[in-house]
Amino acid sequence: MRRPLQVTLLVLSGLGLLHASLFTDLCLRYVKPSMRPMLVVSGFLLILLGIAEAWSRSRQTPGVDDHHTGQGHIGENHIDQHHTELPEEHTGHNHSKVPRVAWLLFLPALSLLFYAPPALGAYTASRAATKAVPVQDAFDPLPATSPLPITLTDFTTRVQQDRKRAIKGRTVQLTGFVTPDKGSTYWDLTRIMISCCAADAQSIKVRVYGIPALAANTWVTITGTWHASGTLGTSSARAALNGVTVEKVAKPVNAYQDALPFATSR
Amino acid sequence: MQTTVEPPRAAAEAEVTAAGWPRYWPLLLLGAAVVPGLLLFSVGRWMDSPAVQAWRTVCLAITTQALPFLLLGTALSGAINAFVPARVFTKVLPKRAAFAVPVAGMAGVVLPGCECASVPVANSLIGRGVTPAAAFAFLLSAPAINPVVLTATAVAFPASPVMVLARLLASLATAVVMGWLWLWLGREEWLRPVARHTGHRPGHSRFTEFRTGFQHDFLHAGGFLVVGAMAAATFNVAVPRSVLDTFAGSPWLSVLFLAALAIILAVCSEADAFVASSLTGFSPTARLAFMVVGPMVDLKLIALQAGTFGRAFAVRFSAATTVVAVLSSALIGAVLL
Repeated sequence: MRRPLQVTLLVLSGLGLLHASLFTDLCLRYVKPSMRPMLVVSGFLLILLGIAEAWSRSRQTPGVDDHHTGQGHIGENHIDQHHTELPEEHTGHNHSKVPRVAWLLFLPALSLLFYAPPALGAYTASRAATKAVPVQDAFDPLPATSPLPITLTDFTTRVQQDRKRAIKGRTVQLTGFVTPDKGSTYWDLTRIMISCCAADAQSIKVRVYGIPALAANTWVTITGTWHASGTLGTSSARAALNGVTVEKVAKPVNAYQDALPFATSR
Repeated sequence: MQTTVEPPRAAAEAEVTAAGWPRYWPLLLLGAAVVPGLLLFSVGRWMDSPAVQAWRTVCLAITTQALPFLLLGTALSGAINAFVPARVFTKVLPKRAAFAVPVAGMAGVVLPGCECASVPVANSLIGRGVTPAAAFAFLLSAPAINPVVLTATAVAFPASPVMVLARLLASLATAVVMGWLWLWLGREEWLRPVARHTGHRPGHSRFTEFRTGFQHDFLHAGGFLVVGAMAAATFNVAVPRSVLDTFAGSPWLSVLFLAALAIILAVCSEADAFVASSLTGFSPTARLAFMVVGPMVDLKLIALQAGTFGRAFAVRFSAATTVVAVLSSALIGAVLL
């Protein structure tokens, strides 16, 4: 890979990272928000590297001043020949021999800039491992608000572990996206969670009865009550809802977490 | 016939162009910008199918997640090459290679990154005269036993702090055994010669040496990172996790299965503890194997190592490491967990 291409590649990769982390929220589709500062720094660093490379190229023209590089091709060939001959240019020469595999770096760079894939959704959720809910011994009394906003994880632990069965008869409100279950009357309200990047995605699902499934990946807030199956408060209970209302909501910016519904419902 | 005459001439012309590449670089640049776009457009329907989208997301996620760490590692490797005199290493490390291995293994504690950072660093260590066995012990232990990873492990397993100790010991043992194994059986010719890491030479700007080394290593390793991310994403999307449950029952199979899973999933070592803690159906020993094998052998690491040290090395080394890591985690798991 020739040096002008290396400059392009470095700058494009840097721009891609900056585009995804600084100018937009794209990076939240792939990694955790805590990675963001590192991505910004990396983006700037890559651009700096590219600029330094371009600048040193224009300075290394032996015996010619900077304008001549603008003349282009012949000048460049000339320089490259000198690289092989001059001992002090040895490192520079070696580094123009970046293997072809480096070309592949264009893929993530361009993909981030122009064709970023969406966040993981129903396809992954229907196949990914289900996240284990934490084991909880003591449960605080539930607040009296109705409908009660609750996360999918909390709902599941309440249903499966709370011996006092505080969730019984309560109307709860949860937000997630739709994962349809083919050929059945129910569907899964889903959240995907990541611990580092999208490669380690795990999902948590609450089965919804009584409401027809919307299109896959639609973000919804639903209200409902526990759908009786198994013994409430034990692991035989299934995290499931009899849906009452359903409302489409905007996809949250940071989708890879299990959060409460926005306080928008009237 | 003209057509029979034309191709050789065209080929010769193409060769001339290949030699004088920069002449066409703006064109190539344009091609690089336009051709993928066109390709993407024409296969757009296919690319937007859920499976391919998930594949692209996972692939890009692995690359994005690893890039900062790769930059850190290559910067460190460039800095070692340009700023650290070779005598520092000969002073710090014991003369006898057999003693240098455990010291280098322990030194892994200081590199706060994931496995992508350690490959270029190990490479530059070898270039600076560190015996390969010690450099490999460092390469294997650094991503597994640094404070960031151990903290993450403690957070992921709040109920069993002994898991942290088990991970530390099993990873360190594997790294040291692999170092000694290299001393015993390793051959230099498996390693691609490292001509680049010549260190600082008098009369050169240290900063320029640092910059060019950094840049070269990054572009080089970055390309292989993308290869590894693609392979890992393929398995990640193609293998449904429900397969996991069928293996959870048998204690031995589950250890082997989670070790294999660690290799194909290529989860970053800073995150694998969280993944391991979620594999609830499996025995603690199997999960330990997942966390010991993962930072040492996985698809993106094999690709990185093949690019850095050569394919002959990467294949042998990864295979041996897997065996040693599984044995050591089984042993330590049986004692501690």
